Amino acid sequence: MIARVALVVVLVCAPAAAAAQTAETRAAELQRQRDEKQKNLTTYEPTAIERTMDLVENKIVPLLQRDGAYAKLGNITTGSGFAYGAGWRDRSLVRGLGSVNLWAAVSMKGYWAMEAQARYPLVEGGVLNLEGTGRIYEYPEEQFFGIGPDSAREDLTHYHLSGASLIGRAVFHPWAHFTTGGHVEWMQPHARPSGRRPSIGERFDPPVVPGFLAEPNYIRSGGFAEVDYRQPLNARKGGWYRFDASRYHDRNSGAFTFNSFEADVRQFASILAERRVFAVRGLVTTTNAGSGGQIPFYLLPTLGGNDTLRGFRSQRFRGPHRMLLQAEYRWEIWSAFEAALFVDAGKVAMRRADLNFKDLERDYGFGFRFNTDNGVVFRVDAAFGSRDGKHLHIVAGGIF
Amino acid sequence: MPRAQTNVFALVTALAIIGAAETRSASQRFYVDDPIWTDNDRALDASKVAELEDSNGFDFVNHTVVKPGERRDVRAMNVNTVDEVPDSSWFTNRIGRRDMTLEEIVRGPDRVPTISLDGWYVSGGKSTGVQPGFRMRNPAEKDAGGRDQQYQIEFDPPSNPELATGAEMIGTAFYYAFGYHTVEVYVAELDPTKIVIGKDARIQDPLIGDRRSMTRRDVDNVLRRGARLPNGRYRVLASRFAEGRPAGNFRYYGTRPDDPNDIFPHEHRRELRGARVFGAWLNHDDSRGVNSLDFLTRADGREYVKHYMFDFGSIMGSGTMFAQRHRAGNEYIFEPKPGWLTLASLGLYLRPWLHITYPRVPPAVGRFEGDAFDPLTWKPEYPNPAFDNMRADDAFWAARIVARFDDKAIRAVVEKARYSDPRSTDYITETLVKRRNKVLAAWLTACNPLVDFELDARGLLTFRNAAVLAGVTTDASSYRVSWSRFDNISGGATAIGDPIVVTSPRAQAPSAIAGAGAPEFLQVEISATHPQFKSWDTPVVVHFRRSGTAWQLVGVERR
Repeated sequence: MIARVALVVVLVCAPAAAAAQTAETRAAELQRQRDEKQKNLTTYEPTAIERTMDLVENKIVPLLQRDGAYAKLGNITTGSGFAYGAGWRDRSLVRGLGSVNLWAAVSMKGYWAMEAQARYPLVEGGVLNLEGTGRIYEYPEEQFFGIGPDSAREDLTHYHLSGASLIGRAVFHPWAHFTTGGHVEWMQPHARPSGRRPSIGERFDPPVVPGFLAEPNYIRSGGFAEVDYRQPLNARKGGWYRFDASRYHDRNSGAFTFNSFEADVRQFASILAERRVFAVRGLVTTTNAGSGGQIPFYLLPTLGGNDTLRGFRSQRFRGPHRMLLQAEYRWEIWSAFEAALFVDAGKVAMRRADLNFKDLERDYGFGFRFNTDNGVVFRVDAAFGSRDGKHLHIVAGGIF
Repeated sequence: MPRAQTNVFALVTALAIIGAAETRSASQRFYVDDPIWTDNDRALDASKVAELEDSNGFDFVNHTVVKPGERRDVRAMNVNTVDEVPDSSWFTNRIGRRDMTLEEIVRGPDRVPTISLDGWYVSGGKSTGVQPGFRMRNPAEKDAGGRDQQYQIEFDPPSNPELATGAEMIGTAFYYAFGYHTVEVYVAELDPTKIVIGKDARIQDPLIGDRRSMTRRDVDNVLRRGARLPNGRYRVLASRFAEGRPAGNFRYYGTRPDDPNDIFPHEHRRELRGARVFGAWLNHDDSRGVNSLDFLTRADGREYVKHYMFDFGSIMGSGTMFAQRHRAGNEYIFEPKPGWLTLASLGLYLRPWLHITYPRVPPAVGRFEGDAFDPLTWKPEYPNPAFDNMRADDAFWAARIVARFDDKAIRAVVEKARYSDPRSTDYITETLVKRRNKVLAAWLTACNPLVDFELDARGLLTFRNAAVLAGVTTDASSYRVSWSRFDNISGGATAIGDPIVVTSPRAQAPSAIAGAGAPEFLQVEISATHPQFKSWDTPVVVHFRRSGTAWQLVGVERR
């Protein structure tokens, strides 16, 4: 009997005892829930994506932006392909007006360059700066299609360009949007056959390729003036105008001495809270070798590639004179991401008189850009409509 | 079975059942201490909590793509039985529950009216955020550990002097008055010629961590990015470090798995859901987990996690380092539909916010307006699970707090920013007033707005209409009141008489609620009739508990 009573008590009271853990007051009930949780505390474990993004944000991106040793990513020159390397810099000299920057990078296509830059303010406030740059480089797969507007895509060849240069600049910045200055540069470029086929010598005779295998030793001198009132740097309004005149003096024989003048004008306008931007660019370059002189083919102005005529291969056209007209309509899709429609037109000419709007090479296309207020980080442009077919450019950096 | 044994068996069984029934009464709707006004979420030691600091990128991707947390139409889980938020490690009822003087509102969390940076020294670099700055210590003030008190020093962008520091001052004062924990902030002037770098000052570096000593050059790098005053000094914001050990930031979803006190999913906390209303009013589009602080704080020999709202440099018209973007407050950073439409239409599809015009204002204001502002469609930078869970009752709770700020109080808070151009103060005040009025019109009317229920000993029920009190609408044409006995155990209600309709906010209870048979709990359902607001038809359910001849309000629920 006692056992039966005990059984009943247990059966009836057991659930009741469990329920009895429910508190009599709200405060006690909340405390009970907390006590319960305390029995099952765990340490938070970040997910893989969390760890990865933390690494990118707190280690990798700062590594690209830091002073001292830093990682360098981007392009070396047009057509070099994606490049990576390392550098050392200090942008805080002379109260932030002076800087030193040394870097070395190599691209996926085997291009490499090393550069040292320095800036020193001669006048308080950065009104007058001295700048110096030294550079050595090797571009093993530069493209050559011949000289002049009638070159053919089928004539694609490659050459290897290497060299060194030292440049000194005095930069005068008297007003907020205006800069002018002069420069002197020693440069020793050297072109030779490329390891990539077809190489330049296989299709073109050296006599028709001025400067091929020659080793001119230049002193370039000149001046420039620049007006820059873009807002912001990745412009939505304002303009950027630059004029540059240089004399390339061949110190060896004088045979490759020439002059060049370049005007680059970019204008930006926007509507709808600056989310629709119209950008136009006009670029004219002319050179003059004087009577009997020549200009090395690798120093001739070129057109073609991701930053000029996008419907053509890099350096597709080459000649003593060139003009380029570009227009883009850019519209923001999301913050930091925009699309663009573009039209490019341009030509190279053997005579300055031929720099006109006749027989322009043309292309059009669309693109997408990941950007910040200070510039385009990454860009994809698809170009159509040229006589050379479709071209896709995936580039770190903007266009204009 | 002998009769005696049978009787014993029956008795024991009956007693056991009665005992069990009594014990089950613990699952009652209202406890004896309801409504609670303090949730003691500092009772258990949380000193083992690990620091959790989310990166900006992860926070964006997580909330934009993964969308963590529970999205559910459920009543906020941490409210008390009268639909209010008890004081806790998250929130302290201030202006929402008691009167605050103008002086109190303006003072906010600050302990002194002003500070001077003379004699302070640089103690390290600033580890997070886009605003240029560093840390300084004040040797004349000691922290709990006996060290010189540390402050974070931040600068305005050269393009917009006073922009971010002004926003911080205003935001901190408002959020403190709302009831959140905030750190003390002060506007001060820093003389660059008197800056001293402490011998132990370190700066974070991606390569070597925080082992690098800070130099004058590091300080100059910061100064170069800051707006300088005509007198050669810098206007800075000095934020006093909270007491305790940093534990990272909180998230607007889930609970910390290592904090025993943290039992309510954050997306279901009323004060985090309702923060959407405050965010809309002040355009705090940057209200996200990474702009919060958790500190392990010592009390009663234990450590608990205290949660702070932090970083108001990007509210109103400030984008911290630039005037606020046109998109801010109107659309998430990544919102698929308008993006695809814009892309497909080659930009011919125009998002509504592209048409908003902003007046010419001093640079300290940035980009801020109140005419096109729509509180119902306002959005933070990216989805916030607590905001997404905000219901009409959460918004109503927050809007009532907003309603406590009259024009004079708003101006007084704005004046705390010490803008050098009075036009900035005027414009921001006017805009905040406009936005406040829109917030109140939107959210005080979105659900049945009856408040302040009282039932006196004579059975006279009185209440008020929060929307009418705020002046955003006219009174209801009538109120329908239903009385019931309420069974606190079963949760069932038995009607007492027929519902009555009254035209003023008072109603006499049926005589059955008084006398010997008076119920212990009374349930009253009150709906309102207003031609504009259909939602008022849904009754507020109110519960009173009898205490002698008096009635105590123990339950309020807006459905």
